[in-house]
Amino acid sequence: MTFGTRLLLVFTAAVVASVGLVEWLVWGTTRDAFERAETQRVNALVAQFQREFARRGAVIVRAVNGIAASDTAVNIAIAPDPARYYGEAAALAASSPLDLLELVAGEGTIISSAEWPARFGYKEEWLAGTTGWKARGAFLRREELPDGVTLALTAVSEAHAGDRKLYVTGGQRLDREFLSSLVLPEGMRVLLYRNLSSAFSPGELIGPTGAAADSAPLVPIVTQALREAREFNRIVGGGAAAETVHALPLASGKELLGVLLIGSSRRELVAIESSLYVTGLLVAIGGILVGIAVAWWATARVTRPVRALAAGAAKVAAGNWGATVQTSSADEIGQLARAFNRMTQELVAQRERLVQAERVAAWRELARRLAHELKNPLFPLQITVENMRRAHDAVPEQFEEVFREGTGTLLAELANLKQIIGRFSDFAKMPAPEMQSVNLNDLASEAMKLFQPQLAQAGIAPRLELDPQLPPVPADPEQIARVLRNLIFNAIDAMPQGGALTVRTAAQNGGARMEVADTGQGLTSEECDRLFTPYYTTKTHGTGLGLAIVQSVISDHKGRIAVESEPGKGTIFRIEMVG
Amino acid sequence: MRVEIREAIETPDPPQKGPGMTDLGAAFSITRWEGGRSAVYSADGNAPGGRPFLDGIEIQMARPLREQAIDLELGKADLVELGPNELRRAAGGRRIWRSAAVRLLALVFGPQVGDARLREALALSVDRAAIHSVLLQRQGEIAGGLLPQWISGDAFLFSTAADAARARGLVGPLRAPMRALTLSFEDPAWRAVADRIAVNARDAGLMVAAAPANPAADVRLVEVRIASAEPWQALAGLAASFGLAEPPQSGSPEALFAAERRLLADFHVIPLLHLPYVYGVGPRVRGGPGITPLGEWRFETLWLEGARP
Repeated sequence: MTFGTRLLLVFTAAVVASVGLVEWLVWGTTRDAFERAETQRVNALVAQFQREFARRGAVIVRAVNGIAASDTAVNIAIAPDPARYYGEAAALAASSPLDLLELVAGEGTIISSAEWPARFGYKEEWLAGTTGWKARGAFLRREELPDGVTLALTAVSEAHAGDRKLYVTGGQRLDREFLSSLVLPEGMRVLLYRNLSSAFSPGELIGPTGAAADSAPLVPIVTQALREAREFNRIVGGGAAAETVHALPLASGKELLGVLLIGSSRRELVAIESSLYVTGLLVAIGGILVGIAVAWWATARVTRPVRALAAGAAKVAAGNWGATVQTSSADEIGQLARAFNRMTQELVAQRERLVQAERVAAWRELARRLAHELKNPLFPLQITVENMRRAHDAVPEQFEEVFREGTGTLLAELANLKQIIGRFSDFAKMPAPEMQSVNLNDLASEAMKLFQPQLAQAGIAPRLELDPQLPPVPADPEQIARVLRNLIFNAIDAMPQGGALTVRTAAQNGGARMEVADTGQGLTSEECDRLFTPYYTTKTHGTGLGLAIVQSVISDHKGRIAVESEPGKGTIFRIEMVG
Repeated sequence: MRVEIREAIETPDPPQKGPGMTDLGAAFSITRWEGGRSAVYSADGNAPGGRPFLDGIEIQMARPLREQAIDLELGKADLVELGPNELRRAAGGRRIWRSAAVRLLALVFGPQVGDARLREALALSVDRAAIHSVLLQRQGEIAGGLLPQWISGDAFLFSTAADAARARGLVGPLRAPMRALTLSFEDPAWRAVADRIAVNARDAGLMVAAAPANPAADVRLVEVRIASAEPWQALAGLAASFGLAEPPQSGSPEALFAAERRLLADFHVIPLLHLPYVYGVGPRVRGGPGITPLGEWRFETLWLEGARP
């Protein structure tokens, strides 16, 4: 992953995290505020319902007591034949705020019923067995009607005339009209479940306009309220239709006769949440875009000089030591670029100095070597010429013999000089390799065979460990053979007391590896470091060009040569050729 | 004389329902008729019995009982029908003309109710005594048979007692849908009776829904006038009204009782009450009584106080 990508990700993550945090805080605060307002609204409506409930109860009690205290009630109580008052309840109810009114004889027989006139003569068992109705006030009760059962807020009063008694029971239905009398704030609704049957009945869940249309989500709430007989809140539905429902059980004594459900729409909260979500999304998208733009700008500003530096370093690595980086900034990157430029300038200067020094050293070494090599043959030449001069002056009769011997010596030494100069010439004129497919195993076998007599004379045991699967490699067979001869020759020189010479080959990464190992006295690490330097030699004879030529040949073949040696443990030359 | 009735009669031509108006023909002639609303009869100077005292009779039809009672109190009507409630409320000293119990109030099953157990259960569930004492304020008689006691003399032999337990036993094996019945009543005055029958039926395990004027109802609450004081003729008339086979006439009271029992045996008709015609008479009306024991109008002997001689 590039620095620019990382920078972009960091910027984007920072923006998204910031927006998300703000969004979360705003959302949480809004939600808390809404929930508090919601609770207050529901509590207010519950209180309103309870006030309305109490007010209605008071109205009913007052109306029932008024009827019980009337002359009509007394007349009915004392009438020998109450049948003539059969229609009285309806008339009394019509002039009162009561939906339900029954006049019941002291023994519990209905004399007149406003809500169900045809039920006269039937017994109201629940009345006769209870006393203290006046103190009880209004209470909830299931009322049987011609068209079913209803829930009513009921009060009972008694009219006494001597030893005769008349019960007056009156009430109001808890129905949609009662619910419609409740003033509801916007977004709230109130429903009443009348617990009139043993199982849940959807038809008994009513609202101000009739049966509740979407009762299914409310069924568990009603069931729980009836089971637990306690108030609680529950959220039903989802999305814009979500609603907080407060369940208020309505009990009469130990019997639960209904459940009031106060629903408060969560549409506003959902709308606010949706708005926050959209806003947050837009801000996040904006933040990401800004992050991308800033990251791009920052990348351009920060990574461009870094890339330029990387490119400069690559040029240096590729050998262009004079590469420089353009910079105009004064920040750390600019300082780094300027330091880089100074470094490359220093490198170039040092290289120049080094090349100069090496060139001088090479010339000196060449001169020293050349002088050394030439001095050896020159000394016999000088001696021979002086001997010939002395013989010519002192012993003229022997001069011819001396001359013959002297000229022979001179020719031999001149040939030696010529050979030395030829070697130097060969090194200077290393030809370009002529590449062809070569099997190194063949070259190794031939070289070993070539040195067989010398090896036997030096007491060295030859060993060939050749890989039969060795692939052919592109190489100049003549030059590689010369390399092998050089290395074998060196190995023979390294084992004056005899030993073992091993040449082994092996396939390696599609190419080939070849090793020439001896069991000679070995080399120090310093010697190993300088081994391939031209004109360096550890031997008392030689030009010091052999291994330099070897390295030059291998280098021309794009191969590598390395040496591995320790004093007393022999030396291994390892050549790696590409396939 | 201004008369109000609760029925709405569309045509003056026979056969006509209701009491009285067919009885006017002998002494009065129709001079104006608005079907279902009103009729005007004028005295016929050539009547066989001589010209009646009244110059004319204005009859207002389709007048609710309560409105009739009010009109009577306010002097807007001279003769009105009185229902039980109106009778109870009638001011003291008000003149009332009653016929004998010549109206039979009965339940009549339609042919779709084929299960006799269902019909018998309804018959057993009805508490006639409560209806008689409360809703009808003890007017008329509780009826177990088709003919009233004053005509047949053996009406008391027919059982009228309610037996909800036995009724429940009869309908117990029936499935709930089969125990549901629709009850229709023609006259709104009988709504309270129909409702009470529905309440009683519920005790027997029947589900009766009462509704007015439902021709497709399973059972109808009907009022039938007994047109003759002669037992066999009265029974034949009732049988014809209920669509029952006319009983063969025989002279003996036992045969009459047996014939009546046969008519009621399968509970297609359930007699409930025998009721009289009851009229409230205004203070201007003189003479009378203006109705016979059979409820026939005899207005030719009446006159109005203060009217032109």
